[in-house]
Formats: sequence, C-alpha cells, structure tokens
Amino acid sequence: MRGIREHELNGIIEVNRKACKGCDSCKTFCPTSAITGKYGATHQINSEKCIFCGQCLVNCPFGAPRDTVDSLDNVISRLNDNRATVIAIIAPAVRVAIAEEFGLEPGTLVTEKLYGALKQAGFKVFDNNFSADQTIMEEGSELIAKIRHYMLGESSEHHLGALPQFTSCCPAWIRNVELNYPELIPNLSSAKSPLMMAGAVAKTYGASQIWAVQPETLYVVGVMPCTAKKFEVSRPEFTSAADYWQKQGGTEHYPDVDTVLTTRDLARLFRKLNIDFNKVSEFTDNNNPFAQYSGAGTIFGNTGGVMEAALRTAYFVITGQELAPLELTPIRGLKGIKEATLPLKDVKTGKDITLNIAVVHGIKENLKPIVDQVIAGKSPYHFIEVMNCPGGCINGGGQPINPMGTSWIDKYKAMLPWS
Amino acid sequence: MAHNEIETRVLKHSLPSRLFHWCLILGFLPAAITGFILWLKLGNETFINLAMRIHIVGAIIFTSAVIIYTVCCLNLVIAFMRRIFSWDSRDLGWILIGGGYPQKMFLGKKITVPPMGKINSGQKIFGICLLFSGLILMASGWILYAFIPVSPKLFIYWSNRIHLVFGIFMGLFVFVHIFLGIYNWGEFKTMFGNGTQPLDEAKDHNPVWVEHEIEPVQNTKSNTKVLVQ
Amino acid sequence: MASYDYIEKTVKVSRREFLGVLGVGAAVLWTGAYVATDLIQDRTKYIKMRTASLYRDDFKATVRQSHNNSSLNKMYKSFAGEPLSPLSEELFHTKYIDRTKLGGMS
Ligand code: HEM
Ligand code: HEM
Ligand code: SF4
Ligand code: SF4
Ligand code: SF4
Repeated sequence: MRGIREHELNGIIEVNRKACKGCDSCKTFCPTSAITGKYGATHQINSEKCIFCGQCLVNCPFGAPRDTVDSLDNVISRLNDNRATVIAIIAPAVRVAIAEEFGLEPGTLVTEKLYGALKQAGFKVFDNNFSADQTIMEEGSELIAKIRHYMLGESSEHHLGALPQFTSCCPAWIRNVELNYPELIPNLSSAKSPLMMAGAVAKTYGASQIWAVQPETLYVVGVMPCTAKKFEVSRPEFTSAADYWQKQGGTEHYPDVDTVLTTRDLARLFRKLNIDFNKVSEFTDNNNPFAQYSGAGTIFGNTGGVMEAALRTAYFVITGQELAPLELTPIRGLKGIKEATLPLKDVKTGKDITLNIAVVHGIKENLKPIVDQVIAGKSPYHFIEVMNCPGGCINGGGQPINPMGTSWIDKYKAMLPWS
Repeated sequence: MAHNEIETRVLKHSLPSRLFHWCLILGFLPAAITGFILWLKLGNETFINLAMRIHIVGAIIFTSAVIIYTVCCLNLVIAFMRRIFSWDSRDLGWILIGGGYPQKMFLGKKITVPPMGKINSGQKIFGICLLFSGLILMASGWILYAFIPVSPKLFIYWSNRIHLVFGIFMGLFVFVHIFLGIYNWGEFKTMFGNGTQPLDEAKDHNPVWVEHEIEPVQNTKSNTKVLVQ
Repeated sequence: MASYDYIEKTVKVSRREFLGVLGVGAAVLWTGAYVATDLIQDRTKYIKMRTASLYRDDFKATVRQSHNNSSLNKMYKSFAGEPLSPLSEELFHTKYIDRTKLGGMS
C-alpha cells in the first residue's frame, strides 16, 4: 500500500460504520483530507492518507471513529511477568488530562498521583519531560549550529539541514510532511521525538546504568496523548538501542519503544487492574533520575511550548545569559499562527542577530500559508514549531474526550451547501 | 350536475391555508420520507446523499412556509391554536368512541358522535403534536445542519437523538393523517379542491363550527351559483 | 373563482394573544441564542484549562530551563557525551523518508 512501509501499523483509526451519521464533522478536522464519504452517508478513512492524529476521533459527536490498536492485554501480561521490567514513558499532556477520566475537572494536575498509580500497577516511571529537555538539547543545538553556520558564517562539522528548521516532535506532522510535502524533509529537525529519545535512552543508558537489567528484558510503554504515536513506534528505523547493543555483541532485535497506550488506554488499564485513581497514594519518585524535569520540558504539551522551551535554551547558549522573563507570551494561547522575534547578541562574536520564529497548531486550518512560504523560499522564519492538534498535545487524539468541548478553535463556521 | 346548483357551500380552507398545506406536503413529507432513509441508511452512498439533499430542500420549504405563514396570516395561526387547545367534555366522549371511525371501518355502522367544531378531537391531538414536534424538528434539524464542528459534541448528539425520536413519531403520525385525510373523501376534496364544502356536510361533521363560527357572505351577487355550474 | 355562500367569521387576534405569541417566541429565541452562544464560547474551555495547568507546572518548577536539568546533564556526562556527539547522533537523531516514492506493499 502506498504511504505505509512494511511492519508499520496501518489503519489505526477506523470509522465504525454503524455509528457514523455522515455528518461531515470529522472532515472539518482532518488535516489530510483522508476521510471520504458523501454528506449523509457513512464515512471511511483512507489509511494511505491518514496521519493517525485522531482528531476525527475526539471530535465526532457520535463516537464513530475508533482507535483500533489495543495493546492493553499485552501490557498487562508483561506487568505480570516478573522477568520483564516494564517502563512507562509518560508524556507531559497526560498529567493534566487523565484526571478527567476519573471525574475530575479538566486541567487537574496529577503528576504524583499518576506516578503512584503507575507504581501500583507495576510500572517504573520514565517521565517523558526528561526527554523533552533532552529534545531541547539536541534540537536546540541543531538550531544553534544552523544559526552559527548560516547566520554568523561559522563553519560546521555537522551535516546541517536547511533553515527554517521545523520541529519534529509530532509524528502526525512528520507523516504529513513525508506524504504531502517531501520537499520539506531537509527542513525537519533530525532530532527524534521525545518519546523515541526516551526509548533509546531507556534501553541503553537506563538498562545498563540505572536499572542494571538486560536491555531485552525491558518492556517500554509510551503513555501518550496521541494516537499517531502508535504509528511512530512501529516505524522500522526505531531500533537504535538494539543496534547499539549489537555493536557490542548483542544479538537481540527489539524496538526502542515496545508499545503505546493513549491517555484513555491508561485509564482503562487502571480500571481493569482495579486501581482507584482517586484514592491512590501520591508518589514523588525523588530518587528516580528519569523523573527529574525542568519547567521547559513540561510545557511541551502546549502549542508554543516546544518553541518556548527551545528559545530559553538557545538564548542562554548564544547570549550567555538566562532569558528574563522566561514567559514568552506572544507564542502562548490559541491563535492559529503565532509569531515572535527575539533579538540576540552573540556572546562569542559580539554580533547582533534577530531570530524570527513561528508556531502553528491545528494544521488543518493554519499550516498552508506557512508551508507555502517555505516551499517558495520566502519564509521569514528561522524556526517553526508545528503541532498537528488544535491547542497542541494537550488536545491530542488519545486524550480523554471532553463531551462539552470541540477542537474547533476558529470563529464561527457554518457548513453551507456551497462551501 | 343539476342538483349541485342549489347546494349551499361554505369556504372551509381559505387560499393561504391551502397553500400552506401544500407547502407542508412538499416540505414535511419529503423530509419525513428521506429522514427514514437516512436513519436506516437505505441504499448506496450516492442515494443516501441524494436523500440528504432532498431532506434539506424539504426542510427549507417547511421552515420558510412556517415563517411566512405565521408572519402573514397570524390570525389563522391563532385561530388554529385556539382550536387545538380548546378542550371540553365532548372531546373526551369523542375520544372514548374513537370518533366513530372503528365502528364505521370495521362494523360498517354509523354511530352518533359528540358534536365537533371545525376540527375534531383527533385532529386536535394531531395539531398539538404537529405544532410542538414541528418546532422541535426545525430547531434540532438546523442545529444538526449548521452547527456541527463549532458546538459541543454532546449538544449535537442530543440534537440528533431528539430529531430522530420526534422525526419517527411525527413521520408515523403524518401517515395516519394522510390515510384519514383520504378516507374522508369529502374533506380531501375540500382541502385539495377550492376549499369549499357543502354546508350539509359541514353541518354533519362540524356542527358547532357551522352554528357559531360562520356567517353568510355579504355580497351574494358576485358569488352566484352559476359559476360553480 | 370558487363560489360559496358562507364564510368563516374573521378571526381577530386579541392583544393578549398577540403579545403571548410574541413573548413566547422571543423568550424561546432569546434563551436559545443565549444557551447556544454560551455553549459555543465554552467549547474550548477544556483546552485552555489543560494548557493553563501545564504552564502552572512550569511556573512552580524550581528548574525551568532544559540546560539546567542536572539529571539530564549527568546522562550526557556519563553516557552520550554532549548533544550532537556521534553517539547522540546515532541514538537521538533520525532520518525521514519520502513516502510519495513508496511502492505497493509486498
Ligand atoms: C425542518 C427542518 C429539518 C431539518 C433542517 C432537518 C435536518 C436534518 C439533518 C441535518 C439530518 C442529519 C442528521 C445527522 O446526520 O446528524 C436529519 C436527519 C433526520 N431527519 Fe431531519 N430535518 C428537518 C426536518 C425533519 C422532519 C420534518 C422529519 C420527519 C418527520 C425529519 C426526520 C429525520 C430523521 C428520521 C433523520 C435521521 C436521523 C438519524 O439518522 O439519526 N427531519 N435531519
Ligand atoms: C398527501 C398527503 C396529505 C393529505 C391527503 C392530507 C389531507 C388533509 C385533509 C383532507 C385535511 C383537512 C382536514 C383534516 O382531515 O384534518 C388536512 C388538514 C391538515 N393537514 Fe393534511 N394532508 C396531507 C399531508 C399533510 C402533511 C405532510 C402535513 C404536515 C405535517 C399536514 C398537515 C395538516 C394540518 C396541520 C391540517 C389542519 C389544517 C386546518 O385545520 O386548517 N397534512 N390534511
Ligand atoms: S463526524 Fe463521526 S458521525 Fe460524522 S461523518 Fe465523521 S465519523 Fe461519521
Ligand atoms: S486520524 Fe487524523 S488524519 Fe486520520 S482521518 Fe482522522 S483526522 Fe484525518
Ligand atoms: S500534536 Fe501532539 S497529540 Fe497531536 S498528533 Fe502531534 S504529537 Fe500527537
């Protein structure tokens, strides 16, 4: 099938034909026009075009699209297997959403409770915020190298892609580029997403130096706000840890991250294991090196958050001073395309540069103008953050479904017969 | 025909009423039929899409007819509402014997029924149901049509539920209405003809109406029976 | 032109009825509009609440920049070297594929 490689998961999101009313709502959210079906008739998803973002799923009023990948039983059997060490990599957006599944207000921050519940279930915690910080170090260093090379004229020992640099944390966005804008591949940051970095760290450094176990006995579960992450972990190139160990005499083959549970899946897992989330005791996990994270790592779940985190570090590296104040308000909030300029004085050369950045989310509506500029070679930006979902990962396709909400962020839009 | 010439007639359904009824037939009826097709997903994609288009066209006709009729003929609407909401002991008696219809249809005998006004108790029930369901169907229908991506999922979900329940209910009720409308052939001829009915027939069906609510036409000259032949 | 001898007496809408219909209509429309705008305005509240919560998590953090995450720096020091080091490139970076050039699946 075009658009899918061997071993990659396919058809992650499918429409339940019985439930679908053909209301066309999903089409107004689908970033790649992967949904077919005439108004009134049942709709289908074309897997070749689908980027598995799950926005149709969280926005269908009739609950028709389903997440077809269910690895709950696999995870439970690994939890019961005492030869296996089961790691949960928890994304930033999960801690502010999972409480909704248990009747609490949207936005209740439950990091410690989540750690506690995961511990009770038998997981070891690897906070993805740790790897979000790591992503900033890798992706930020890449950006800084590009700035030094292209803007300050220094030579570079690395193979550098083009400017503007796009963020690469969002697997739906990556798949969208690979399918629809292959000419932008050189602009994508080569940094893996935080989840994939976390998997690689867990099965190398984590296995040997933190948990002292054989890497092949690790079972790494991503707990994500995202259905596209289920696709991402199935990409065949993500076996860096196994490749690393093979160079040192290892023989096993295994993926960096074994499986993904969405926030909804994790709530189901807790219920299935009879863990009462509201009564679970809090757990801070102070001695766990992978539970240490910075404020920059945690805001990765918001639109603008990756950019804000990257700029805090880039500013420091280039100017030698910490950014103050740290809050970059122009790139916060739900505006479709957000822009900012950041003047920097290079501490090494004393040269002044101005960094232009843009933040895009809800890409069905907002991506086109930004991407067209880049393709035409007229983009004024140096760094562009793209998150597929409106509002960022906190509103991802794997998050609890808020019945009184919708991802429709723009102003009023009627579905008129001529539109 | 000869004996028709001396027949006295009464205008039962004025032109605006008859036009409005035509709009209901052209709007409500296609909407009801296509609504069932949508609900049961009968046919292939193209056919269901066609049904949806017809449903919306019907909805436009239905909605605009209701608005125009209410604005232009408010007195007729008020008269209709007075009638459907005026209930007394005679209505109870009428309902208890089913308006004499079962006896007529199944036993073939005509029994006396309590005297009725312009519309009988059964029609009153139909009228009340239609008034409320019609408004609810319009409101929920337009919500489903125009507000889908913007409004909360639960709101749309319940709009659909309500639309479906009232749609099925009214759809079935209208078919009963059509059956009785054709069964009472005289009434049919009145509604789909020129709106007039022989006074004797009206006296038989609607004695209270004939007694209290009608008056002779003033200028009889312009309405000579010659025109009716 | 039809002819008839009797006609319905003209129905006069009383003041009370007129105001009643107008009142009920206006009340229903007003409540409907009020509820609808309310629902539509609040539709993204949950997104804003989740967003605000993450920003609060940042605000109350003692360390607020990635380069100051000591546990991460320790990982680099004792394992990967530094960002963009050869080992970092191998483990933490990736390549993308042009999916428009993918053929059929075997
Ligand atoms: C007056 C204006 C009306 C409008 C604007 C309207 C609009 C709609 C729309 C947009 C749908 C599709 C619902 C969806 O896919 O979510 C629908 C479905 C339907 N409509 Fe209507 N409609 C109207 C009147 C009626 C009437 C008069 C009836 C029947 C007597 C009716 C019966 C139905 C039924 C049975 C469905 C299928 C519901 C389902 O599949 O759950 N509608 N209508
Ligand atoms: C082809 C189908 C239809 C036929 C043969 C028909 C026939 C009739 C007849 C004969 C009457 C006169 C008195 C009576 O029997 O109630 C009538 C009145 C009425 N019909 Fe229909 N009808 C049809 C469709 C509809 C539809 C689809 C609606 C709307 C939902 C509708 C709504 C009404 C109303 C509200 C009245 C009362 C008018 C008044 O009291 O002035 N009819 N119809
Ligand atoms: S939003 Fe849901 S019900 Fe509506 S067409 Fe899409 S899948 Fe079907
Ligand atoms: S998952 Fe995303 S890309 Fe796939 S059909 Fe749904 S909205 Fe479209
Ligand atoms: S924005 Fe976040 S949740 Fe949405 S597809 Fe991208 S990574 Fe997944």
